[in-house]
Amino acid sequence: MELYIGGYAQGKLTYVLKKTGIPPERVYDPVASVPDCAETGAAVINHFHILVKALLKEGKSPEDRVREILARNPGVIVISDEVGNGIVPTDAGEREYRERLGRILCGLAEKADRVERIVCGIGQKIK
Amino acid sequence: MMVLITGGSGSGKSAYAEKTAVSLAGKGPLYYLATMKVYDGEGRKKVDRHRNLRAGKGFLTIEQPTGILLAVSQMNRGKGTVLLECLSNLVANEMFASKKIRREKEVADQLCAELCSLAEHTEHLVIVTNNVFEDGIPYEETTRAYMEALGRVNAFIAARADAVTEVVVGIPVPIKGDLL
Repeated sequence: MELYIGGYAQGKLTYVLKKTGIPPERVYDPVASVPDCAETGAAVINHFHILVKALLKEGKSPEDRVREILARNPGVIVISDEVGNGIVPTDAGEREYRERLGRILCGLAEKADRVERIVCGIGQKIK
Repeated sequence: MMVLITGGSGSGKSAYAEKTAVSLAGKGPLYYLATMKVYDGEGRKKVDRHRNLRAGKGFLTIEQPTGILLAVSQMNRGKGTVLLECLSNLVANEMFASKKIRREKEVADQLCAELCSLAEHTEHLVIVTNNVFEDGIPYEETTRAYMEALGRVNAFIAARADAVTEVVVGIPVPIKGDLL
């Protein structure tokens, strides 16, 4: 598994697809899902943070779901926004989301074979 | 040695800061300066989580939400390594503790002086701060003043620190100096 993180609109997906040659059909995206592309079989999960947010909203455990995805798809590439670099939100749900996503990403980074942070479209390998 | 550690919420900066402080301290005294004020269950949960993280590592915890130099008299194991967590709470406490909100420059100047003085009472000072600067939201005046004060203290400490490290998804990334 590999993890690619960075801020909004940093060109993360473009960077990953260009680097790996993975076709867009194999990208699972919770925002605009490719038909028949489930996250447990996709080569790339884009907008991973949105997936975590959606699960929290549905009252499901994102930690359990992530474990399940990794068990069935150990070679997946995960792309996520970093959302923790701001003023602590006044809304408790938003605070919970930031904290949970942060911890999940730390866990993924620990397991990942490679972690890169994308800044202005440039990949900085941090693991 | 002085080390500044930054990162966002849930970035793993606390765990890394503890590891750094423990390794710097060696067999010497180890203090944890807690600056967070507990207001509710969520704050309590956060404090408990940090307490569990620190358990068994030999830290003497000193709670000092304002007036950080008052902690010096409680360091009764002698001069040692201090882990201060975190600057973002300390700035907020100093700024908003009294009825009248204090000016950002006044708060920043006071903290810069106090932290310099604190450093002189330590063998090693590890300071945790928080990256609250990159969500692009145009906050109202009070929050902007807070961000300004924290930004000033961060830059002041970073200029004097031997190492500045950003923790990203649990991974330390050197900003200044080498990783410890």
